[in-house]
Amino acid sequence: MRHLRAALARIAGVFTKHRADAELQEELRAHLEMETAEHIRRGVPADEARRRALLTSGGLTQAAEAVRDRRGLPWIESVAADIRYALRALRRSPAFAAVVVTTLALGIGANTAIFSVVRGVLLKPLPHRDGDRLVYLRQSMDGPGGTNIVFSVPEVRDLRNGAPSLAGIAEYSPWTSIHQSDDGAVRINVGLVTGNYFEVMGLSPVLGRLTRPSDDGPGVPPVAVLTHEFWMRRFGGDSSIVGRQLTLDRKSVTVIGVLQPAPFFPDRVDALLNMVNSEHHLSATMVEGRTHRMTEVVARLAPGATLERARAEVAAAYARMQSRFNGAYDPASHYRVAVIPFHEALGERARLTLWLLMGAAAFVLIIAAANVANLTLMRGVRREHELVVRAALGAGVARLRRLLLAENLVLTLAGAVFAVLMAIGGVRLLISFAARYSPRANEIRLDAVVLGFTVALSVTLALLLSFVASLPREGTFAGWISAGVRRMSGGLRRQRLQRGLVVAQIAVSVVLLAGAGLLTRTMIQLAQVSTGLKTEEVLTMQVSLLTPTELLFNPAADASAKERYGRMRDAIAALPGVVDAAIGSPAPLRSSNVQFDVKAEGKALAVGEALPHAELRTADPQYFRAAGIPLLTGRPFATTDEAGSGKVVIINETLAARLFPNEDPVGQRIAWTGDVLRFTPISADWRTIVGVAGNTQDGGLDAEPRPVVFMPFAQMLAIGGGLVIRADSNVSGLTAAATRIVRRIAPTAPIENVLTVAQIKDQSVSPRRLNAALVSSFGILAVLIAAVGIAGVLAFSVSARTNEIGIRMSLGADRGRVQRMILREGGVLLAIGLVLGVTGALFAARVIRGLLFGVAPHDPITFIGVAVTMAAIGIVACWIPALRAARIDPAITMRS
Amino acid sequence: MAEKLDVKQGTLALMILGTLDVLGPLHGYGVARRIEETSKNRLTLNYGTLYPALLKLEQEGFVTAEWRQSENNRRAKYYALTAAGRKQLAREAHEWHQTTDLIAAFLAPKREAR
Repeated sequence: MRHLRAALARIAGVFTKHRADAELQEELRAHLEMETAEHIRRGVPADEARRRALLTSGGLTQAAEAVRDRRGLPWIESVAADIRYALRALRRSPAFAAVVVTTLALGIGANTAIFSVVRGVLLKPLPHRDGDRLVYLRQSMDGPGGTNIVFSVPEVRDLRNGAPSLAGIAEYSPWTSIHQSDDGAVRINVGLVTGNYFEVMGLSPVLGRLTRPSDDGPGVPPVAVLTHEFWMRRFGGDSSIVGRQLTLDRKSVTVIGVLQPAPFFPDRVDALLNMVNSEHHLSATMVEGRTHRMTEVVARLAPGATLERARAEVAAAYARMQSRFNGAYDPASHYRVAVIPFHEALGERARLTLWLLMGAAAFVLIIAAANVANLTLMRGVRREHELVVRAALGAGVARLRRLLLAENLVLTLAGAVFAVLMAIGGVRLLISFAARYSPRANEIRLDAVVLGFTVALSVTLALLLSFVASLPREGTFAGWISAGVRRMSGGLRRQRLQRGLVVAQIAVSVVLLAGAGLLTRTMIQLAQVSTGLKTEEVLTMQVSLLTPTELLFNPAADASAKERYGRMRDAIAALPGVVDAAIGSPAPLRSSNVQFDVKAEGKALAVGEALPHAELRTADPQYFRAAGIPLLTGRPFATTDEAGSGKVVIINETLAARLFPNEDPVGQRIAWTGDVLRFTPISADWRTIVGVAGNTQDGGLDAEPRPVVFMPFAQMLAIGGGLVIRADSNVSGLTAAATRIVRRIAPTAPIENVLTVAQIKDQSVSPRRLNAALVSSFGILAVLIAAVGIAGVLAFSVSARTNEIGIRMSLGADRGRVQRMILREGGVLLAIGLVLGVTGALFAARVIRGLLFGVAPHDPITFIGVAVTMAAIGIVACWIPALRAARIDPAITMRS
Repeated sequence: MAEKLDVKQGTLALMILGTLDVLGPLHGYGVARRIEETSKNRLTLNYGTLYPALLKLEQEGFVTAEWRQSENNRRAKYYALTAAGRKQLAREAHEWHQTTDLIAAFLAPKREAR
């Protein structure tokens, strides 16, 4: 109680300081006068009386100081004083302050910005209730397109029965839908979900309600839950949305609620619908087909269940499924199921890239901090005299250390302020960068945790910097003072420290440069990959005339759509400047998600050989010419390859090599095969190969070419709706005219993905370009800071050795020798730094192997280039102080 | 001249409280004089010792201070004991007696043993 009261009084004392000081002075003066008066009363003369009174007082100033210490919070007040003093000292060396604050701002800014991404995308707890109990199930198999083949309804059923550790399994089938509104038709991403989905995911509505088990099954009204993002983007956050009707795929759907903001995996979603919205999802083919895999699965761990137990149970259930239904799981394709914590699944595409960037940013900060440490050390030497004077006036070592800390805090926190300003500017850019890698990109912000990280970083730096400056041990100051020291030559310890810092800077710069070099070469290699097309003057677009239901179940609609596609093609072909126009899906360089097993007539698979899969693509007779896809042998499709005529196909080079090694495929027959065909209108008839097309980079420039089967547009459903337009030059200039034609024939159909081949190609390269650009800018920054560091340390060493150099020169050393001496001093540091850096870079390159393409992690060209660059910059940085050393005039130095 | 003693830590507060208890409200100079006289000039109090101690007692709520005219018409800050201060004085005096008894008990047999 009494301590609390005293503490409160002291805190209050901080604020009433001025009045209290005046009162104290008055009180002390009164005391002095009373005492003087007392002496006079006893007969002491006035002067002597005052002297005696002063003598017993023990000094008015000291007394006032002692009371002040007692009154407020001296620690805080003296920190404030320290900071005031630090500001004043820094104002006196503005160049030093500016260099340090800029360096730190860059280093801390890079870290703040990247950390905000890491936190938003990887570290922040999920918004889902008990989000750490959510797991994502992934079924995969060998071969292209096999990394995530999702699940079929029977598989989900078996897992549900076989894994009691999973309290609930939610089904989520990604799908697209055409949203028709007054503003036109737009394709949106939807998820068809089971009624337990939101309960399992632990998500709540911000408006209305979410779907529940009573929304499952046939015969219920179709309903939609909008995601928060879609609601804001499309409806401006209109709170009267609940109960409104949306037109999706020409059917009316009631909006029942808006979901809280939440990330979706694998892709962003606009609305979540109950299953009745898709006839297909309730059809027997979907519900009973074991190989009809269209469903993503997220589950919640039961209370008390562990991830390990869930994994074991899922593995056991999956093994039982494989042995019971061996036709659905080709053993050679190695079907498997992984149980992954949901937050890991959300972060998996981003993780490597982000840790790379975080590492790069940390390296920049290390270099920046090393530079600041060096600057501080050098400034420390110049300030020795000042410190000695302060010590003489009674400042202890602890007090001096606190003064240094205050200065460094001012510097690092000023750096942090600029850093945060930079990060605020950069965060929008980073969100669009991260959106390529993570569904959580919109959660990136500079929140309290990020700012806390920045402050913690700054304070840690300040502490470190305050302790690199070596202060003498308590008591040795007296020796200095009596020796009349004005400055000490840099002690051995300090010199070693400085050199160590320079070596570290060089090494870290080399690592960053090597990373930047490898990523840049990756990007260049990627941009040089041939698309497989003979030209880039190709414009593609996608026009959807049919809903999925119409496509699958309505032959009349299919026929009319084909007729309209044909009219579009012919009208576009008549446009001036158009060389060819064609129909075919997907557009060239875009991958198809329609894949089936395929077999060749008269060829048996070897034991253990995986079933070949191929992408199904459609093409009309003009497609290969229009897209610029070369035909290696055989002929393109002809107008005579009609619905009723003989069934023909064209396969690509990859499939030809797989099915017919050392044989001419033309004239051979192949057929689609597999259980899953039962659920499609595609027949398993034999089809004759009429041609072999060259490979194209449909899965991205860095992807392995996949096996492809082209079917004639006339002999297949009108899937995809792709149009391909080729021009002599400037194909993008045709966009408006082509779009007008499409609009005339199909006024309400959405026109999507209007892209030239060059743009598609760029989409594949640009994430790498951003990576390379970010790491390169970090690398360049690092090298610049490091170069300044080397030059600075050597310059300092030269100025500390002016006397020695003067003596050497007067003893006969010529300028060249002096210059070589300094160069050697720098060269040794440079060489050690290079060796360490290259070693470190070799390790770092192996870590980022997954981000490289077309370059080995130990790519000699990159490493030699980086070493040479760094050496060149280092030598230039050494040259300047070496020249200065050589210009030292021995006569002048010796005399001073 | 009598031997000068340093004021032992913790005892000054007790002396101040005791002084104010006996003499009633008093200014700093008066407290100092009284302590010096009571100690027969073996203790001298410089301001740097006295005033922080007074401030501490004030902060703890054992004394209050107010500005008044002194006997010879000078403005001075008078310190007065509060109820809490009186209680604290009793408690500390009690503890002090116990401590001195205890220490005396320790020192007495030592002399006998010699």
